[in-house]
Amino acid sequence: MMRMLFCCRFAGFEATMRASLFITCYNDTLYPETGRAVVRLLERLGVSLDFHPKQTCCGQMHANTGFRGEAFSQAKRFVRLYQDAENVVIPSSSCVAMFRDQYPGLFEELGNEDLRKDFASLLPRVYELSEFLIDRLGVEDVGATFTHRVVYHASCHGVRALHLGERPYKLMAKVRGLDLATLPNVDRCCGFGGTFSVKNAEVSSAMLTVKLQDVLSTRAEYCTALDNSCLMHLGGAMHREYAGMKTIHLAQILASTEADSQTEVAL
Amino acid sequence: MNQPVQSRQLTLDRIRAATPSAAKDSSQLAAAYAALPRAYIRHGSLTAQARVELMIQRLREYDAEVVECTPAELPDAITAQLAASGRHRFVAPSGAPPEWMVTSAWKITGLEWTLDHGLDIDEIEKAEGVVTAATCGIADSGTIVLHHSATEGRRVLTLLPDYYLCILRAGQIVETLPEYFNRCQQPPALATYISGPSATADIEMTRIKGVHGPRILVVIVVRDN
Amino acid sequence: MSHATPGHVSLDPKFAPTFPQAALIMLRNPQLRKNVAHAIDVIQAKRGKLVVEKTDWQELRSAASEIRFHVLDNLGAYLEQFEARCTAAGGHVHWAADAAEARQIILDLLREENATEVIKIKTMTSAEIQLNPFLQAAGVSVYETDLAEIILQLGDEDPSHIVVPALHINRSQVREIFARTMGLKNLSDDPKELTNAARTYLRQKFLTVPTAISGANFLVAETGTVAVVESEGNGRMCLTLPRTMISLVGIEKVLPRFQDLEVMLQLLARSATGERMNPYTSLWSGVTPGDGPQRFHVVLLDNGRSSILAKTKERQTLKCIRCAACMNTCPVYRQTGGHAYGSVYPGPIGAILTPQLMQMKHAQTLPYASSLCGACYEVCPVKINIPEVLLELRSQVVNQERKQAGRFFDPMYLGLRVANLIFATAWGFHAAQRMGRIGSRFFTRKDGWIHALPSIGGKWTQTRDLRGLPKQTFHQWWAERAKGGK
Repeated sequence: MMRMLFCCRFAGFEATMRASLFITCYNDTLYPETGRAVVRLLERLGVSLDFHPKQTCCGQMHANTGFRGEAFSQAKRFVRLYQDAENVVIPSSSCVAMFRDQYPGLFEELGNEDLRKDFASLLPRVYELSEFLIDRLGVEDVGATFTHRVVYHASCHGVRALHLGERPYKLMAKVRGLDLATLPNVDRCCGFGGTFSVKNAEVSSAMLTVKLQDVLSTRAEYCTALDNSCLMHLGGAMHREYAGMKTIHLAQILASTEADSQTEVAL
Repeated sequence: MNQPVQSRQLTLDRIRAATPSAAKDSSQLAAAYAALPRAYIRHGSLTAQARVELMIQRLREYDAEVVECTPAELPDAITAQLAASGRHRFVAPSGAPPEWMVTSAWKITGLEWTLDHGLDIDEIEKAEGVVTAATCGIADSGTIVLHHSATEGRRVLTLLPDYYLCILRAGQIVETLPEYFNRCQQPPALATYISGPSATADIEMTRIKGVHGPRILVVIVVRDN
Repeated sequence: MSHATPGHVSLDPKFAPTFPQAALIMLRNPQLRKNVAHAIDVIQAKRGKLVVEKTDWQELRSAASEIRFHVLDNLGAYLEQFEARCTAAGGHVHWAADAAEARQIILDLLREENATEVIKIKTMTSAEIQLNPFLQAAGVSVYETDLAEIILQLGDEDPSHIVVPALHINRSQVREIFARTMGLKNLSDDPKELTNAARTYLRQKFLTVPTAISGANFLVAETGTVAVVESEGNGRMCLTLPRTMISLVGIEKVLPRFQDLEVMLQLLARSATGERMNPYTSLWSGVTPGDGPQRFHVVLLDNGRSSILAKTKERQTLKCIRCAACMNTCPVYRQTGGHAYGSVYPGPIGAILTPQLMQMKHAQTLPYASSLCGACYEVCPVKINIPEVLLELRSQVVNQERKQAGRFFDPMYLGLRVANLIFATAWGFHAAQRMGRIGSRFFTRKDGWIHALPSIGGKWTQTRDLRGLPKQTFHQWWAERAKGGK
C-alpha cells in the first residue's frame, strides 16, 4: 500500500485524487464483480471514489440502433449527472466512445447551447479505466498478481475509437505472474456489436466462431478485455461449448493481489 | 430534343440546390483548390543512380526482362534482344529513330520491322513484337508511361503484339508519381501507364500473367547520364 | 439461376431478401465462405505490406479526402468544366437523371450505330442500372470482356465484390462453366489454362466488334479526360480497337485537375489489389484522330447521387473511389460474401450507398449489417466515416418504421421504448433490475446460467449461454458498503 502511495506521489499526484465511477447499465446488472474490482483497485491506488446513485445508462444501445431521440435524453441525463465530477471513470470502452463520438452529434442536433457547453467542459474529465490509470494516475504497475496464462481481446471501440494503443499491454506487463498469450488477428471484431448480436444473430455467431478459434488456439486459461460486452459474447459461447476457458474483465486481473487465493472471475 | 437538355438542367439544378457552399466564381474555386492540403511526398530522395536501380528492380519484380546499355550500344542492344526473342516480324512507331534498325545485322538474323504509317489492325495483329520509346519511368512502382507520341506509337501498337520491347532512357526516370505529373508541361491527350504485363487474379486470387496485351515485356534502360 | 451459389439471392435491392435472411443462405455455403476468406486474405496481406511501405499513406488519405470533399462541394462547376473540355476534344456528353434514362440513351446511341453487338469493360455502374438485360431484350448482344465478368456471364452468376466480382467462385467451378459454354471438353482447372481459354475466346470479339461500353474510374474536369484503371488489358482492347466508345460514369467521379491523379492512383491500386500500381491505366480526352474510337460518348449518371449530395452527414458516401478495401477488411463481409447484401454494391460501402440510391425505400436492413467495428473507416483511402453514415441511416430507418402501426408491438421497438423509460430514472432502472432478476430465475439453470430465452432473447441463446443475473447489483453492493462504513 505504501509503495502505491509512493508511486502516486512520485507521479506528481496527491494521494487523494477523487473520481466518480460510472459503472454502466450492463455491468451494474450483470457484472457487479467488475465494479467491485474497480473500486478495490482504485482505492488501493489512493483514489477517493464516489458513486452517483442516480446513474443508469449512457444511451449507446438506443443510439446504435437508430433511436436518436431516446439516446439524446439518456445522454443529456448523463452530462447533467456528472457536471461537477472531478474525474469520471468508466470500465467500458464502448460507453466512453459513445460519450466522445456520438454525444457531440446528438447535442448539436437536439440539444441547446448550455448543454453543449456542459458537455465540452465534461469531455476531458471522462476516462476509460486504462486511460485513467496510465494517463491520469500515471501508473503502470498497479501492484497486481495474477498467475495465469491470459489472452487479451482488443475490443473495437478501444482500438479504433479510443486509440487505447499500448495502455492495456503496459498494465498487463506489470502484473506479476501473468503469462500473456499472443492473439492472432487481434484487431478483428468478435461479432458482438450490441443489438447486432440479436438483429443479425447468425452472422454474429459466425464471427464469434472465427474469433473463438483464434482465442482458444492460444490455450490461455482466461480471456480478458476492457469491455464486458465482448466478454459476455465470447464467454457465452465458451460456456455453451464447454470450451475450457473463462472470461474476466481486465479490472479484475488488475485488482487481484498475491493475497488472493481465488480471484473473482466471470465464468 | 427536349429530354437531354431537361436532364442536364435538372441534374445541375439538383446539384446546385445540394451544394449551397459552392464557390461563387472561378477565382474562388481556384483559391479553394489551391488551399487543399498536400502533405504527401512530392519529391523523391534517391540519387539518379539509385533511382534507375529501383526502376530496374521493380520491373524485374513484374517479370519484365531488363538490360542496360549506353547510348552508343543501343542499336546493338536492340538487335540482340530481338534476335534472342525467337521472333522475326516486328512493328515500330512511325517516328522510331532509324538508328534503332541495324539493317546489316538484321538481314543476317532475319529480323524485319514495319513502321506504322497507318497499318491495318490485321497487319499489327500479325506482328510478333513491337519496339517503342517511352515518355517516363516511375521507379516507385516500376511504371512505364506512354504519351503515344510519334516515337511511342498509337495505343494499339503496344497492345496487340505479344512481345514488347521498350526503350527507356535513364534521364526519363523519376522516383515518385507526383514527379511525373510535375514534369507534364501539358496533360497528354492520350496516355497509358504500364506497370507490368497484364494480369488477372480473378480465379482464386492466383495471379496469371498475360491475359490481353503483351505477355512478354523487355526494357532496355539507356544510361544517358 | 446460378450454379456456383446454391440459394440464389437477387441483387436488385427492390426484390432482394433482408440482409439477415440472405446472410443465412450464404452462411450455409462452406465453399463460398472458404473462397471469400481466401480471396480477401490474399488482398489484405498484400495491401498491408504496401501500406507500411508507403510512409506518406496517411497524408495521401487526407489529401484524397479533401480533394473529394472539395469536388463534391463544387460538383456543378466541375461537371460543366468536364463537359466543355470533353466536347472541345471531340467527345459528346449526355446527362441521365436516372437509370431508365441512362439505359435509353445508351440504346439510342447503339441504334445510331446499327450496333447489334457490344463489348464491355467491367463497370459496376452498368450493373447498377441493369444495362445488360435491357440491351439483350432490345436485341443487342452484350459481351463482357473482364475475366471475372465472363465467368459470371457464362455461369449466369451475380457479382459478389466490386473489384474481384467472381471471388466466390473457385477454379473447378470456373472450369465447369468454361467447358460447358465454350465447348472445351478437355479443359483442366489450372488457372493459366482457364485464362488462356478466355483470351482466345475474346480475341476475335476485340478485333471485330465496333462498339464498346465502359465505365470510368475518374473524370478530370480540367482536361476532359477519362481514366480507366485495370489489370487484364481487356480495357485497353475495348478502348482502342472499336469505332465507337460509350462511357457510363457516375457524376461523383470527377476530379478537378489532371495532377490530382497523383494522389488517387497511389491509393487506388494499393487499396484495391495490393499493388503499387495496377498493370494498365488508360487516359484519353475526347477523340484523337488516328488513335482509338473516333466516336466517343460520356453518359453522366445521377440516379440518386444528387440526393445524397444534399445531405450533410451522408455526402461523404460519394467520395468513394470503388477500391473495395472496406469489404476486404469487413469481418461481416468475410462471413457472408457479397450476395448477402442484395445489391451490386456490397460490403460496408454497399450498406450505405445502396439504401441511399434507393431513396431509403429499399434495403433498409443494410445499415444494420454491421457490428460498427470501424475497420472499414480505418482502411478507406478517402476517409469515408462509414460507421457514422451507418448510424445516421439507422436513425432514418427507425424514424420511417416507427410511424408504421404494426411496429408498435415489434419486440425490438417495444423493448427499446421500454428500455428508454427504464433508463430515465434510477428507481425505474432499479425496479426493472429487480423484476429482471425475479423473471430470469425461471430461465436460469442449476449451473447459474441461462441456456434458452424467448423472443429476441432467443436470438442470443441460439448459440450463446448467458450467465444468470447476480443476486446483488453493483449499486446495491455500494449502498450496503456505505451503510456498513468503509
